[in-house]
Amino acid sequence: MKIELEDENDLDHYIICHKCHTVQEEIAISDGSKALCSMCKMPLYRYDTRLVEHGLALSITGLIFIVLANLFPLIKIEILGTESYITIISMISSLIGSGYYLVALFLLYLIVIFPVMIFSLYILLFALLKLKRAEELAKNILILLAQIEPWQMSDIFLVSILVSIVKLFGMATIHIGISFWTLFVFVLIDIYMTRSIHLGELWVLKKEIYSKKAEKLKNDTPISNTKKGVSS
Amino acid sequence: MIVVDSDKLIACPICEATNIDKSNRNICRRCGSKIYHHRNSPTEKSWAYLITAIIAYIPANIYPMMVINQFGSKSGSTILEGVIELWEHGDYPISIVILIASIFVPITKFLMLIYLLVSVKYPIGNDKKVNRFTVYYFTEIIGPWSMVDVFVVGILAGLVHLSSVQIIAGTASTAFAVSVFFTLLAAHSFDTKLIRGR
Repeated sequence: MKIELEDENDLDHYIICHKCHTVQEEIAISDGSKALCSMCKMPLYRYDTRLVEHGLALSITGLIFIVLANLFPLIKIEILGTESYITIISMISSLIGSGYYLVALFLLYLIVIFPVMIFSLYILLFALLKLKRAEELAKNILILLAQIEPWQMSDIFLVSILVSIVKLFGMATIHIGISFWTLFVFVLIDIYMTRSIHLGELWVLKKEIYSKKAEKLKNDTPISNTKKGVSS
Repeated sequence: MIVVDSDKLIACPICEATNIDKSNRNICRRCGSKIYHHRNSPTEKSWAYLITAIIAYIPANIYPMMVINQFGSKSGSTILEGVIELWEHGDYPISIVILIASIFVPITKFLMLIYLLVSVKYPIGNDKKVNRFTVYYFTEIIGPWSMVDVFVVGILAGLVHLSSVQIIAGTASTAFAVSVFFTLLAAHSFDTKLIRGR
């Protein structure tokens, strides 16, 4: 298939499917709907006019829940009258205490630092997009997000908690703590976010927002008062 | 006016922007990041990570994953022993979860990556029927799930240290975490454009 382009930036209208790597041409879709790959039916992009507001709301909620999940006990057990509980932090510190520095380091990054970092970066990014400021910083945040997103494993950690609860079932009386539920909500928000907001869309949105701003600045100067057709 | 073949288009691994493949020194036009820079051997890095992961997977299966210290008597169990033990106790769903997460997933991932790495270099296995992009996509999706066992050991070791029963993490947990880490790196450093035969 041959594709004709005016210049290289016209490639923005073509998308390569993440799953089957076929080249797909972008089409206009209505608000709130999504475009699927014509080959493998994988969602390619969504169109949401209030993406910034939705993203900001979701990321603030997510950050609150992940911070809460780190503060309170996850599970409490009772064996023969003695009690013991863990928080995420105490779990990591007990691994350090028994000499498993590497495992503790992985856990610290995968389930504490990266999730908190990702959601803080999202808040910052959406705030910048909302305020239409600091384009360079927004770009760097987007690059950083793409690099750390695959290393976030809260969902897998939640499944692991369930597995360990079942393993302890016969051994002890188990009480599920607050953190478990906050982590559960966090994972739901996280799944919803990764499903509804793709980084590719954010790049398109960023380009749109800052180019509009640049155009507005240009139109404000008295020399070029003619209105240009904006293709988006 | 530029005319490009759709086969000549590649996606930036960072920002997903469509780029024209010019050489092996591509820089993304949107985010400015390098798209899989490598000198002569494009699969070298991936192979290196993969071999490290496979080596780390051996001690992960030999040494005990978890040591239970019950009233002074210690008993360690490796991954496979743990699965068998759970099965005998009648915890079938959990033993299947552990079996899939810590044995099937890593091994499938090793095999898939070996298949991909071999098939991009040699004509063997270069079958048109298999969509190798889908194979790669699945290695990316299932990869992190093998962390389940490491997390479980972390939780149990942190939780159960009472006077009567203690659970201590075993040597295998470090080896296993390292193995998973390197398979993830191997999958990330695999250059998808090689699949098209360039």
